[in-house]
Amino acid sequence: MSAPHASAAGVVTLTIGYLYPSVLSQYGDWGNVRCLQQRCHWRGIDVEILPLEVGTAIEASAVDFFFMGGGADSQQRLIARDLVMAKGDAIREAIDAGSVALLICAGYQMWGRRYRPFRGDDLEGLGIFDAETIHWAAEEKVTIRDITSAGRGRMVGNVVVEWEGTTLVGFENHGGRTYLGAGARPLGRVVVGAGNNGKDHTEGAIVRHAYGTYLHGPLLPKNPALADHLIRLALQRRYGEVPFPPLDDGLEGQAREVALHLHR
Amino acid sequence: MSPTAAGLVALEAGKGTRWLLRRSGRGGTSLPGLIAERIHPRLAGELAQGIRNGSLLITGTNGKTTSTRMIVAALRGAGLIPLTNREGSNMLRGITTTLVAAASWRGRLPASDQLIGVFEVDEGHLPAVIDALSPRMLLITNLFRDQLDRYFEVDFVASLWATAFQRLPAATTLILNADDPLVAYLGESVSNPVLYYGLEDGRWGRSQLQHSADSRRCPRCASDLQYSRSFYAHLGHYACAACGWHRPTPRLSAWDVEIGGLEGSTIKLQTPWGPQTLEVPLPGLFNAYNAIAAAATAYSLGVRPDAVKAAVGDVPGAFGRLERFELDGRRVLLALVKNPSSFDQVTEILLRNRSTLRLVLALNDNGQDSRDVSWIWDVAIEQLCGRLAWVIASGHRAADLALRLKYAGVLEGPPDGRPALSTMPVLADAVDEGLRRTPPGEELTIIATYTAMWALRERFVRRGHLAPFWQA
Repeated sequence: MSAPHASAAGVVTLTIGYLYPSVLSQYGDWGNVRCLQQRCHWRGIDVEILPLEVGTAIEASAVDFFFMGGGADSQQRLIARDLVMAKGDAIREAIDAGSVALLICAGYQMWGRRYRPFRGDDLEGLGIFDAETIHWAAEEKVTIRDITSAGRGRMVGNVVVEWEGTTLVGFENHGGRTYLGAGARPLGRVVVGAGNNGKDHTEGAIVRHAYGTYLHGPLLPKNPALADHLIRLALQRRYGEVPFPPLDDGLEGQAREVALHLHR
Repeated sequence: MSPTAAGLVALEAGKGTRWLLRRSGRGGTSLPGLIAERIHPRLAGELAQGIRNGSLLITGTNGKTTSTRMIVAALRGAGLIPLTNREGSNMLRGITTTLVAAASWRGRLPASDQLIGVFEVDEGHLPAVIDALSPRMLLITNLFRDQLDRYFEVDFVASLWATAFQRLPAATTLILNADDPLVAYLGESVSNPVLYYGLEDGRWGRSQLQHSADSRRCPRCASDLQYSRSFYAHLGHYACAACGWHRPTPRLSAWDVEIGGLEGSTIKLQTPWGPQTLEVPLPGLFNAYNAIAAAATAYSLGVRPDAVKAAVGDVPGAFGRLERFELDGRRVLLALVKNPSSFDQVTEILLRNRSTLRLVLALNDNGQDSRDVSWIWDVAIEQLCGRLAWVIASGHRAADLALRLKYAGVLEGPPDGRPALSTMPVLADAVDEGLRRTPPGEELTIIATYTAMWALRERFVRRGHLAPFWQA
């Protein structure tokens, strides 16, 4: 592989705060972090990954890029209090100062105002996105008894989203329906799939440099334009413009092409 | 007891469907049962009442096919006649297909005193099968994440099982893997007899959990589990510092496990039936677990230890599980992978056996493979760095595999040491190309997901290199 290396190797470092890697580690979402790491590495940019578990303190100015992945309701419950009570202020401060965030699925839901699961109490979210999520079974007041009834209202399948004049591809698998308020802008418009709630054709949310989405896949490897966009945003805050040579994205392009033509 | 009138109609429809499928040269594994079930949902239960010695169920994410085969062989060795869903799929409809095939047109099963039901059950369908069959015994091998698009998270599956266990007959014995916290915890909430099995050999395991571990939380209080030993995925010796819940001490334990590469392993067991030794002709720690699970089940059913030993020692590998054969003067090794933990296990065995691999990797995204291919990012593909001569990515999602290999760094290295990557989505092309590149006498490794493996195997069977799986 031709891996261009920037001349200023080593002096530029991207610090990624990986929220709850030991709890929210399903669905291959870790692949997003791997993608950021490699695309920086191939350009001679250093990457430091800070695992931010329950109880880990955050220094707002140290984190250029927050990442949080997907997980089950029970796992969301484990981290909800720590996220909102212990880390909330530092995260809000960092986002206000221009830090980037990529939140997938459960992570996206928890950065909204509130999540209502299909059983148990509501979970308060960070409120960075003006968005509320309600599990489909809670919204429709249905009792889930087995695999078949659990699958009925779930939004599962391949997704294509219009984003900034191009498309994002991924796979969604969520029971929660997210509704955006006036203060949140959607990430994109759904072409194939359910997106935020299966009703209004919106997918994800953007506030400042925080990006929330339901797309697994993982998202970034097959959407290198978004990966690079987020890396540049994150580096700009600390370093201004840095050399950012293009990479050979031939394999990424092939995988995108396949994903664009999958059945739902 | 005979089926009801509705049952007889359903039985007739099922038998007719099966006959038609057979005539057209297809082995129907689900359809006859599905049709019969639609007509009369209680048919499986009504027919199963004719099984004189009752039924046992085997479930879990990985290892159920191999464990079932070992148990069937052991019971046969003990003089019983096992009725098993070798032909039928492992959903309720598949078990119904098996029962429909075995029953007479009047709904009678062979009136043998030796008949016993041994059914492999898909983990998502366990509650339905428990309700239909009221089993006398239940073996659970493990619970890993598998096909999240179908079954969601492991916690959810475990909660469905726990609910279904409340409806088990009081005398049903549970055989549970003590080393899997999610499975072991199921034994806490039932009053049924439980036999735990587990691995005690101190030489196995590491102190760190693998990335593919799904359950790092105490199932009782959700705090972090502390592992003093981790075998693979989330199997190991664990305890919760917060609430004190810990791995139950297994009454049947393997205190000495010798693994010999691809050749198999020797296991020394401590059991309530005295010390035993098993020789397992299948590779890897996961097959050692399968043997321990099968032995625990067979002993509990009263099978003599020598019959168990003979059955375990004689078991052929299940469909595509590290099968080896010769093709055009090359050796071919087929390895089925289903989820991150089975992929990691297979890779570990292959790399222990060889320093470099010539590899065809095939990823499909049909329903049986998992439609979501994200899971390949949770596989420790990084292990393959520096260990590949070349690699061909194949299957519907070949391009996704290629991308995963790229981001794992597998394709990097000094200019003369970079493994070449080819992307060839058509399986037949990939295998032909792989064989062409493999020098005579050398080995080609093929790792494939379920439907890709199925297609490949069928091709090898057609060419006469392999026996059909139902004869294997």
